[in-house]
Amino acid sequence: MKVIQIDKSELDAGLKKLESAYRLIGPVKEKDYHLFKALTPGQKPDLDYSNTRLSARSILYPQSEVMFTFSLDKNDPQYAILKEPAKDPQPRAVIGIRPCDADAYEVVRRNFDTPEYKDPYWLKNFEATTLVGFACNNPCPTCFCTSAVSGPFSDRNLDILLVDDGNHFLARLSTEKGEKLAELAGWKRPAENADDTIEKMKATAESKMTTTVSTDNLANQSLTDLYEAEEAIWDSEAFACINCGTCTHACPTCWCFDVQDETYGKSGVRMRNWDSCMYPLFTMHASGHNPRDKKIGRVRQRFMHKLKYYVDKYEQGIQCTGCGRCVRLCPVNIDIRRICNKMNSYDPETCSCAVTS
Amino acid sequence: MKNLLEHMGIDPGRLHFSWISSAESTKFVEVAKKVTEEAVALKSKEKKYMKTKPKVA
Amino acid sequence: MTSYTDKIREISKRLLKEGKVDMVIGFTRGSVPMMHQPMFAKNQGDVDRFVWDGNCGINLANYVTDRKEKIGIVAKGCDARNLAVHIVENKINRDQLYIIGVPCTGMLDRHKLTASVAGEIESIMEDEAGKTVTISGNGFSETYDRAAVLQENCSLCMHRNPVIYDELIADKVPEQSENDVDRFAAVRKVEEMTPDEKWAYFDDLLSDCIRCYACRNACPLCYCPTCFVDESKPQWVGKSIDPTDIRIFHFLRAYHCAGRCTDCGACVRSCPMGINVRAMTKKLEKDCLENFGWEAGLTTEQRPPLDTYKPDDPEQFIK
Repeated sequence: MKVIQIDKSELDAGLKKLESAYRLIGPVKEKDYHLFKALTPGQKPDLDYSNTRLSARSILYPQSEVMFTFSLDKNDPQYAILKEPAKDPQPRAVIGIRPCDADAYEVVRRNFDTPEYKDPYWLKNFEATTLVGFACNNPCPTCFCTSAVSGPFSDRNLDILLVDDGNHFLARLSTEKGEKLAELAGWKRPAENADDTIEKMKATAESKMTTTVSTDNLANQSLTDLYEAEEAIWDSEAFACINCGTCTHACPTCWCFDVQDETYGKSGVRMRNWDSCMYPLFTMHASGHNPRDKKIGRVRQRFMHKLKYYVDKYEQGIQCTGCGRCVRLCPVNIDIRRICNKMNSYDPETCSCAVTS
Repeated sequence: MKNLLEHMGIDPGRLHFSWISSAESTKFVEVAKKVTEEAVALKSKEKKYMKTKPKVA
Repeated sequence: MTSYTDKIREISKRLLKEGKVDMVIGFTRGSVPMMHQPMFAKNQGDVDRFVWDGNCGINLANYVTDRKEKIGIVAKGCDARNLAVHIVENKINRDQLYIIGVPCTGMLDRHKLTASVAGEIESIMEDEAGKTVTISGNGFSETYDRAAVLQENCSLCMHRNPVIYDELIADKVPEQSENDVDRFAAVRKVEEMTPDEKWAYFDDLLSDCIRCYACRNACPLCYCPTCFVDESKPQWVGKSIDPTDIRIFHFLRAYHCAGRCTDCGACVRSCPMGINVRAMTKKLEKDCLENFGWEAGLTTEQRPPLDTYKPDDPEQFIK
């Protein structure tokens, strides 16, 4: 694959050139942490960060997104007809997305892009977006991407992988989208022996990963055994859980949403908002019956979905890229690494887990 | 409640508390008039209280 | 803090052994720094997992709501006050509880510590004398004066010692008084603003809210079976991240805590975005103190001001 060398001073000039062709999105530090934001003209992405507080999910899949608009004015010939709003067709480029967040798009796509159903909102956003990733030289202690479905240098789902080798950026182009962006930015100087350098740096970064989880046995486990492992797994893990949506809202691979209509005078919108399996309302039936009315059921659902149902359904590993956000942010330390190890090592004969912490 | 509403930036002129018995129709009319007048006088600033339609990304 | 930890383990073991309680609720070491996890011990073997230090900021009163067992509970000053609120509000019976009181010297501000360094914190150490805190990680190690990195509510706390307890694990710690700290300085600063400035202040404060409801769910007061934001028949509040809806959620939640909030800070501690939602509840605390001479959770003998009527209640605002 083609690798080009970008001097650090050239990066901003290149981004400046891209402004006319792309809407640029990048990590920005506003309060005490970084978040992905649309960059204003001339604004530089702040690449001096380990990871953004929240994931890059919202770039393709905003927390609140308008699906349709409608009129409630009976004199309007378009009265009560749902219309898809026109969206800004301009291509976008995300500068500095981490490999784990980009690999999460692959996970989410399995749900939003199937032979039967295609989610037009997510797919349109996805197609309009070029991903310029930024390799992690120093993974965080809570990261475990190498044992999930990603890695600090994973560019499986990136158009360009940027690697900071200290003196300059090495940019590995892996798609046509990536090549086009590099051309528009004027980045074209081929780098020498760059593949070797990148491979070496990748090995160094991977060796710095301090935590791993075992997922090898999840597919072999019986679904009902895991579901029923209340004493060994779910009771104690659910006790501390406060059932907030921090984990699901921070997660790059959670995809559930809730559709709502809102009206404003004589017009209205149909929108979708992120939902969370931690909330009781998530499974509330119109009858008032709630099949998942207890905390333990909701906690179990989150982990069974990510680590068992998804594993069985898609046979592509776990629904987690190991970004570690839920581990860092959970106010009561519900740690997916611990639960994954418990689920992986659960022995239905003895109703116990080889791994307990 | 009045204090917290004001604390969070609602104009004091928009908050009125009155005790009106069901027999005091005249007082009710007077208070309603006064409340409306004061609120209308503040109309120029009312935008911030209105929920606006979400923008399409 | 090892003496605190040892004592908690010792008492818990004794309570379980004597069958005085069915379970003891305390904290165990979290898998990441600053995030200790609430846990229960039902047998003596589990009690050795209990720990105590400056990372036990979650309010454990939240974990006894409507429980039926006899419970031993580790309670710092604010936890004990919230237990008192729970008892007054019939969420637990006093005789179901064996309160293991912890004289508290304040909890560490995880948001402040996280923001103080560029990398991720890998370990946190407090010295045994309780004077300093050292955080370290890849390429950094910083030592702070412990008092400077306390949660704001802790540095303003007037009730560090539990108000109700069955047993204390250590001698009482000295309390702060109005002479030592000005606990409503931040509230007054907002009070002095114009309505538009206040509005902008809260707009900015709440701008990062993602409606995960961690503040609500970490709060021992928020035990409603269905919160008003989760009602669907009828639905009171919009579900999107519209600023008006977010403000309604925070305003009403705060108001529901009026006269009940002990300023334990669990809401702020839990918030993944570090939003200081206490900016609202602190104002209510101030009003309750000024108007009714009331501080929540100091007694189980008296009804709180918002569910009682007195002829001399302030009513100047009613015309």
